[in-house]
Amino acid sequence: MNPWVGYLSIAAVAAASTLIGFYGLRISRTTSDFYVASRTVRPWWNASAIGGEYLSAASFLGVAGLVLLTGSQGMWFPIGYTAGYLMLLLFVAAPLRRSGAYTIPDFTQARLESTAVRRVTSTLVIVIGWFYIVPQLQGAALTVRITTGMPAWAGSVAVAVIVAAVVMAGGMRSITFVQAFQFWLKLTALAIPTVVILIVVAGGVPGLVAQAASIDPFPVEAGPAGLDVYRTVSLMVALLLGTLGLPHVLVRFYTSPDGVAARRTTVIVLALLSAFYCFPTVFGLLGRVFAPDLAEAGQADALVLMLPARLLPGPAGVLLTALVIAGAFAAFLSTTSGLVVSLAGVISQDLLGGSVRGFRIAAVLATIVPLVVALATESSGLAGSVGLVFAFTASTLCPVLLLGIWWRGLTARGAVAGMLAGGSLSALAIFGGGMLAAWAPGIRPFLEQPAAWTVPVAVAVIIVVSRTDRRGTPRGADAFLARLHTPEL
Amino acid sequence: MTDEQGRPGRTDETAQTAPPDETAQPPELDRTPPARPERVRVTAAGLGAPARPAFDLRSPVAGERATEPAAVYVRSLIRSQLRLGIVAAVGFVVATVAFVLVLALVPDLSAAVVFGVPASWLLLGFGLYPLALTVAVLYVRAAARNEARYRALTVDE
Repeated sequence: MNPWVGYLSIAAVAAASTLIGFYGLRISRTTSDFYVASRTVRPWWNASAIGGEYLSAASFLGVAGLVLLTGSQGMWFPIGYTAGYLMLLLFVAAPLRRSGAYTIPDFTQARLESTAVRRVTSTLVIVIGWFYIVPQLQGAALTVRITTGMPAWAGSVAVAVIVAAVVMAGGMRSITFVQAFQFWLKLTALAIPTVVILIVVAGGVPGLVAQAASIDPFPVEAGPAGLDVYRTVSLMVALLLGTLGLPHVLVRFYTSPDGVAARRTTVIVLALLSAFYCFPTVFGLLGRVFAPDLAEAGQADALVLMLPARLLPGPAGVLLTALVIAGAFAAFLSTTSGLVVSLAGVISQDLLGGSVRGFRIAAVLATIVPLVVALATESSGLAGSVGLVFAFTASTLCPVLLLGIWWRGLTARGAVAGMLAGGSLSALAIFGGGMLAAWAPGIRPFLEQPAAWTVPVAVAVIIVVSRTDRRGTPRGADAFLARLHTPEL
Repeated sequence: MTDEQGRPGRTDETAQTAPPDETAQPPELDRTPPARPERVRVTAAGLGAPARPAFDLRSPVAGERATEPAAVYVRSLIRSQLRLGIVAAVGFVVATVAFVLVLALVPDLSAAVVFGVPASWLLLGFGLYPLALTVAVLYVRAAARNEARYRALTVDE
């Protein structure tokens, strides 16, 4: 692959993002602007920005890779990523907007009137954010390695530096524009190659058909009939509920003008995501036919980057490859910057006094830690690692958020106990799973997809502890719930 | 950077943009007109601060006793919104499970090939998004109806 294609498209995306970031800076003036764009972002803008922020390396590269690797099992990832917004709409969007809080820690502290809860939620938000940034940086490493031939670390470092700079310069107002732009860039960057490839394939590619015919690309056991029930259910629990607790997604809802707008925004996001995910799914199916040799762990994530040039030799393939690289980089940049903004918000509010300067220092902190982790570890499949972050979020922040919005009996002790229980169990399953499974192979699926049991355990612990702690019900609980659910006039 | 000059200090502006939803309250919950809410600087108090929200997050009715019927209306609004959410979620899950069972158990769907791909693969890959969207649109309408009913009740008071 010609490295200049890679250099040029990466540079173009970085330049465009930075320009929009600095253009946005001219409107960004106050602390409030920095954190949540002064809550004046319109639904379409906001929905595009949410989509831009949400569609990460896992979506852009990982989904197609998984469909190539595992067949229809991989299709559950985009379904879960999308349907998570349905759950967000049903249980969280409008009440959360009406709570008037900036971050999840703000919300839990105000709801439960406790700094201990705030401390635990802040820690979780930071940990979740860091672990969510890691696969983005690994995706960048993969993209740079494959498209330019530069060492892999250069990609991670480039994304980290650009994001830290843009976030420090403009905060969230400019991020909103950057994110919205990046959503449409990502959509185009997959849609155009998909359509062109489909047209070419429909016309017939003589050399490739022979290769494709040698093995059945769609065996029954990899299709919907070969469904692994436990893993699929557990994955869906993780993805549907994990979306509710993602820090960078939640902070976006505070930028809607009111609860009704928050709902409308969520529906638009659902539509945008549904449209987007058709393309990586098609890419994955095409990959099963035309690039079965890529179907091995570590390679499969590169499918989206390699397929256009394979099927279209000549300048058309080069152009499409450039477009896809640009889209992939937009994905790394946008998700990382969204996460860095919300992490920096939490870190600066809790540790650095909430000033604009503190926010800038926090932005650096939020980027450096995951960069070190990403450089020290190897990616084992982007969609898979993001899925585990969802499982962890679903077992910690999500139950507290849901019960906090809908159940007046929630207490600070219950919330802390539940988050610790869900967090430690899912962390144990994710990090210690390999060792435990070697010792008792029968429990492997339960460790590799822990959400189906860790989420119920977390919810049960919260409810039981809250029940035994009836005096701990915050005095303002009824008033707070009333505020969450009464419509604005 | 000319627009940097000629503008008042940042902290003043921050104070003016303090929580705009202070006014977003149903009047019935608010029999005794409170004094105009104090302006709050929108910054966090940090971890060492007492257990108080970083800025004024209290409900408009906090601190006062909500009148009895108003509280009943609010409780019934919360209940109906929760019921609606659960019905929509359960509906989505049940429909999804049924859809997947059909895909897995009807062999004709795996045998039929469309554009070179088994129909069951295509249906799984693209069929669930319209379902999620439909549930979402129906939910938004119903939730708005619940809120309109609540508003009508509180205005009648």
